[in-house]
Amino acid sequence: MSKFAAASFLPSICALVLAPLLPGVINRTKAIVAGRRGPPLLQPYRDLVKCLRRGALYGEVTSWVFRLGPVANLAALLAALLVMPLGGIAAALSFKGDLIVLVGLLAVGRFTTVLAALDTGSSFEGMGASREVHFAVLAEPALLLALATLARASGALSLTAIYGALTPSLWVAVSPSLALVAMTLLVLELVENSRIPVDDPTTHLELTMIHEVMVLDHSGPDFAFIQYAAALKLWLIGTLLVGLAVPLRGTWWVCLPAILLGMAAFGAVIGMIESAMARYRLVRVPQFIVGAATLSVVAFIVILA
Amino acid sequence: MFAEQTAIAMLALAIAGAGLCCGLTRSHDVLRAVVMISVVELALAINVWARVLAGNGSVTAADEWIYIDAFSAFHIVALALVFALSSAFAAVYFATEVAEDGFGRASARRFGALWLGAEAAMLLVLMSNNLGIMWVGMEATTLLTAFLISLHPSGLSLEAMWKYLIICSIGIAFAFMGTLLTAASIRSGNAAAQALFWNYVAAPETRLDPTLMKFAFVFVLVGYGTKAGLAPIHSWLPDAHSQAPAPVSAMFSGFLLNTALYCIMRFVPPARHALGSGFASGLLIGFGMLSILVAAGFIVFQRDAKRLLAYHSVEHMGIIALGYGLGPLGAFAALFHTLNHSVCKSLAFFAVGRLGQRFGSHDMHRIAGALRADWLWGTALLISLLALIGVAPFSIFMSEYQLLRAAVGAGAWLPLVLFLAASVVVFVAALRHLIDMAYGTPGTGARLLRDGSLALPIVAVAAGLLLVLGVWMPLPLLDAIGRAAAVVGG
Amino acid sequence: MQPLLNTIQAVGLLTCFALLATSRIGACIRWLSFQGILLGLVPLLLHADGLDLRAVLLSSGNIALKGIAFPWLLLRLRARADFSREVEPFVGYIASILFGILALCLSVWLALKMKPALGRAPFEMLDASILLILVGLFLIISRRKALMQVIGYLVLENGIFLFGVVAVVRTPLLVELGVLLDAFVGVFVMGIAIFHINREFGSMDVDRLTALRG
Repeated sequence: MSKFAAASFLPSICALVLAPLLPGVINRTKAIVAGRRGPPLLQPYRDLVKCLRRGALYGEVTSWVFRLGPVANLAALLAALLVMPLGGIAAALSFKGDLIVLVGLLAVGRFTTVLAALDTGSSFEGMGASREVHFAVLAEPALLLALATLARASGALSLTAIYGALTPSLWVAVSPSLALVAMTLLVLELVENSRIPVDDPTTHLELTMIHEVMVLDHSGPDFAFIQYAAALKLWLIGTLLVGLAVPLRGTWWVCLPAILLGMAAFGAVIGMIESAMARYRLVRVPQFIVGAATLSVVAFIVILA
Repeated sequence: MFAEQTAIAMLALAIAGAGLCCGLTRSHDVLRAVVMISVVELALAINVWARVLAGNGSVTAADEWIYIDAFSAFHIVALALVFALSSAFAAVYFATEVAEDGFGRASARRFGALWLGAEAAMLLVLMSNNLGIMWVGMEATTLLTAFLISLHPSGLSLEAMWKYLIICSIGIAFAFMGTLLTAASIRSGNAAAQALFWNYVAAPETRLDPTLMKFAFVFVLVGYGTKAGLAPIHSWLPDAHSQAPAPVSAMFSGFLLNTALYCIMRFVPPARHALGSGFASGLLIGFGMLSILVAAGFIVFQRDAKRLLAYHSVEHMGIIALGYGLGPLGAFAALFHTLNHSVCKSLAFFAVGRLGQRFGSHDMHRIAGALRADWLWGTALLISLLALIGVAPFSIFMSEYQLLRAAVGAGAWLPLVLFLAASVVVFVAALRHLIDMAYGTPGTGARLLRDGSLALPIVAVAAGLLLVLGVWMPLPLLDAIGRAAAVVGG
Repeated sequence: MQPLLNTIQAVGLLTCFALLATSRIGACIRWLSFQGILLGLVPLLLHADGLDLRAVLLSSGNIALKGIAFPWLLLRLRARADFSREVEPFVGYIASILFGILALCLSVWLALKMKPALGRAPFEMLDASILLILVGLFLIISRRKALMQVIGYLVLENGIFLFGVVAVVRTPLLVELGVLLDAFVGVFVMGIAIFHINREFGSMDVDRLTALRG
């Protein structure tokens, strides 16, 4: 049954407010590692406001699909926020099988973005769309198996219940599986959000882009929606990982600071990974994702036994 | 009492001989030492055999790690006989190469050490009571004989050696899995049974889990079957036999394949206790038939004489496996066939090897008029190939006839019909090759070769055995084979 | 004990996949070494009724041989006999990993079938051993270099060794030592063979060993 207690809107509110901070932390970390001072932490907010103030430009060859893309993407992610718990804090909605709904909503978001990209008729966007979908085919089974492993480990089928049961004692009992799931989720974070080593978010070369090139033609509020949705996706998958990795459970004023600290650390970790590695050759990226899928398969098999 | 020492002496002699060959300085000395040691081994083997048959049916030594019953004793004598013949032939064969500086001291030492080492390993397999040590011996034979194949390294012989090494190593690994499964399947019985001592594992009072024993037997059959040359895992055989020097090929066909079949048969009594007699027999008949049919198919298209003989080996191993699957009468026929095939195939490889040296190639189109070019080895070729395809009055005809009787007795009509059909195909194909090789005029490419003093005795003994056993079965031999068959035939 | 066995199983399965997906021979050899050491620890963990000399000997023998001696031999062989350091498979890396996943499902199924008959064997180790056997066979078939075939053979041996440790009550120490000795001599012999092949053909590519047909 759904729970509408006051504490259960906390995950959604945190996400809505704090999500753009995560790219800010990542960029700041990369800059510090590179020896620069880097942009301020609140820069993504300023970028969003800047884009919202501008007008949007639509090409003549595009149709309503192009306009629908960013809006539908954002809507799907906002809906996904409702089922996502923040560590031990319950989500606004929870029911059996909501982990599949989560994956489905992420897929809907991806689908509408890809449609919008194809609608422009440009070859760059088409190329980016094809790559994005190719990687998604390999990554979604990994995500589903990882969530299935967590469901099996905690014995529940709802995300809130699963994350509520991820206590330190469960870690001690089934540590190999959970460690493998954590590794899978880390890799999936890099894949779903087009981070190095899958895609370089700061590149300006269209031929090397995957996600960036799909949204090349959006502008103004549409672009703001896309940026904000990307930040929300980063936050979402981040909470999947940090909720697993920080097994502190209890009342919300105890877990919340811990989780937020975990998210900040997570951002820093992504920043360091991005600084330390280069982007893989495109042929190697599917191998990388399949490797992550294997990790989740192994985790699932180990937990079955 | 004396028999135990004899058994250990056989092993020790072979190992000591291998060590001795590493130290000799002249190639001729190595060859002579090999011949002498193998003759002594033959004498010791016959001694052990006599004692096993005269006594209570078995000889145990070294705290039950060595156990020789009628089945092992028969194989040991056949091994020693083939080894003696092949060692004598090696002296003749390599003498020619020594004269042409093709067989230097390093090659001779390597040959002597590996040859006697392989004999020691095979003796270990045949004498061992412990299934684990039996496996260790089989693996050792693989490793020791690998470099015998590429005694004269060339592209082709290295390829044959690598295929042999990899395929047989995988097979042996599977056989080890089968051995482990057998050990895991022991549910009750002596602690010695769990330590894998055969006479306890095969005892009727030991209980074995059926599921595990089923897996175990399949693994053992496929694993040791790889080394025995049963189709479809025989693919290393034609290459290895055709590229190895003739004495080594004779040893392979004459004894290594039979040792592997021996290992499979050691697992049949436990399988029979756990699963009834149908399972093991059915599998043996199946693999046997497949080997016979595959070999018959390939024999038709052969061009290289030694490759032809290799496929004949696959066929005859199939016949022996078929025999073992056909009940007690079939087991008797199979054992008799083991002896006959070993002697016959060795003689065939000797003849082909010597003729190959004379004509400079083993290509059957290049060998012609063998009877005229070299009366001794040409006659040997004629006799051995005729015997091989089952012409009376040679002994292989007798053993195949007994197999047919066993098949009729067991009601195995389909194997009977397929076997006869395959035999006809092989008969025609091999006879065509034989007539081309033996008759006609030798070309100008034939070289003059001097045979050592051992050549005539080798041919005489081998051909004589084939002829004599084809018309007369001495009673002691009948009794010995019968008792050996009883051990595995059930 | 149980979480430790679970960890060993998980890491063991991962080493199999790593061997299927790695593209450099040196990295494969190091994964093999790690796998050997990991599996060598299993005899020490399995005997809940106290450590005895046999388990310690078995464990140390395997770690010394499969974790140290064989990889060292293989690395020396690679240094002397090969020019390119790539694996060059017949079957691509992604297909290999997909095969690995199928093999994992097959091994779980087979282990479930065998489990009733093998009461005291831990399930995780059973299915890990069957996966090792399947992956070893696949590596022998699907890799172009002779050295990789030897690595596949060693993975096969690892699987059979693991099966023996968990499923069998007690084979005599002499047999175990004989098996180890055989494995050592086997790898040694294969190494010499590869050296000769490389000298004769100029490469370890077994695709060139196809002159003998029919």
